[in-house]
Amino acid sequence: MSETVYVGLAIALLFLCSILCRCGFMVFGDYLPLPDSVRRALRYAPAAALTAIIVPDILPWAAGEVPQLDYRFFAAIVATAVYLKTRQAVLVIVAGMATLWLLRWALG
Amino acid sequence: MAGFMALRPALIATFTWGLVTGVAMVKSGLTDTMAAAMTLLVYAGSAQLTSLPLIAAGAPLWLIFAAGCVVNVRFLIFGAALHPYFRDLSWPKRLGLGFFTTDMAFVLFMPRYADAPVRGTREQHWFFLGAIVPGWLTWQASSMLGIVLAGSVPTTWSLDFAAVLALLAITIPLATTRPVVLSIVAAGVVAWLGQGLPLRLGLAAAVITGVVAGVLAERALKRGGARPTSP
Repeated sequence: MSETVYVGLAIALLFLCSILCRCGFMVFGDYLPLPDSVRRALRYAPAAALTAIIVPDILPWAAGEVPQLDYRFFAAIVATAVYLKTRQAVLVIVAGMATLWLLRWALG
Repeated sequence: MAGFMALRPALIATFTWGLVTGVAMVKSGLTDTMAAAMTLLVYAGSAQLTSLPLIAAGAPLWLIFAAGCVVNVRFLIFGAALHPYFRDLSWPKRLGLGFFTTDMAFVLFMPRYADAPVRGTREQHWFFLGAIVPGWLTWQASSMLGIVLAGSVPTTWSLDFAAVLALLAITIPLATTRPVVLSIVAAGVVAWLGQGLPLRLGLAAAVITGVVAGVLAERALKRGGARPTSP
């Protein structure tokens, strides 16, 4: 199998995967009933998913190593504090990036 | 319009993620054409980023498909929650809305309309559309930009961290009730412990833990809150 065919097939399969996961319930929802208690429970999914994506990025931990505190963790704390104070999403990014660059520049 | 306004901070996250994904696709060996096809057809940043090391290593196609499904399974959950609001639309419309559903649109839509007395109003449909259309445009534009710029963006800029910070700015405002805070803490602990697991299974475990923790906390608080009023 040539490289182009392999990559093309991989992309086609991921396309199929996107359609199945994203459209499955939207199209066939009437035939896949879900109790209301489950729907209520699903309200907690977004915050949990976002947290699960963020945490490994600010607190990385490789197998077999002692967990280390990265500059990113402190930058995220500063960014959170800035958000709670100002409620401005853009300032969160500015403050977080500035903290990260400053820590790297000052401490190497 | 309300959907678009609510989306603005999320668009910054989408833009940086798209840029990072565009750069990553080319850096991992895809040609510009393949990378462009991937961003247009797959339209799922985390599934794309998950598949890149597998494709680069020449992994079997079924494994790439399975990994993509694990990362994308959250969309099944989103679809189940969104379906009651769109069940009256024709199936091609639902197919279209489903395919262009994003994490951001779901995160903005559900807290706003979770307790709506009527599901499936025009306002809800337009809010959702206002959230997914700019999301798609931003994602595609920034991905293409990333593919073009792949050669000249230095990794020392840590652009990926800007995307994490943008996600942070979306997550914190969701923590409005005690069950949600507990759910976030539980998901965070499991995500930290489980990050070494293959196929990003730690992510799935963290989402499940967060949902269970939220439901249990909601029940416990209801019971606690009911006590003072009982005779």
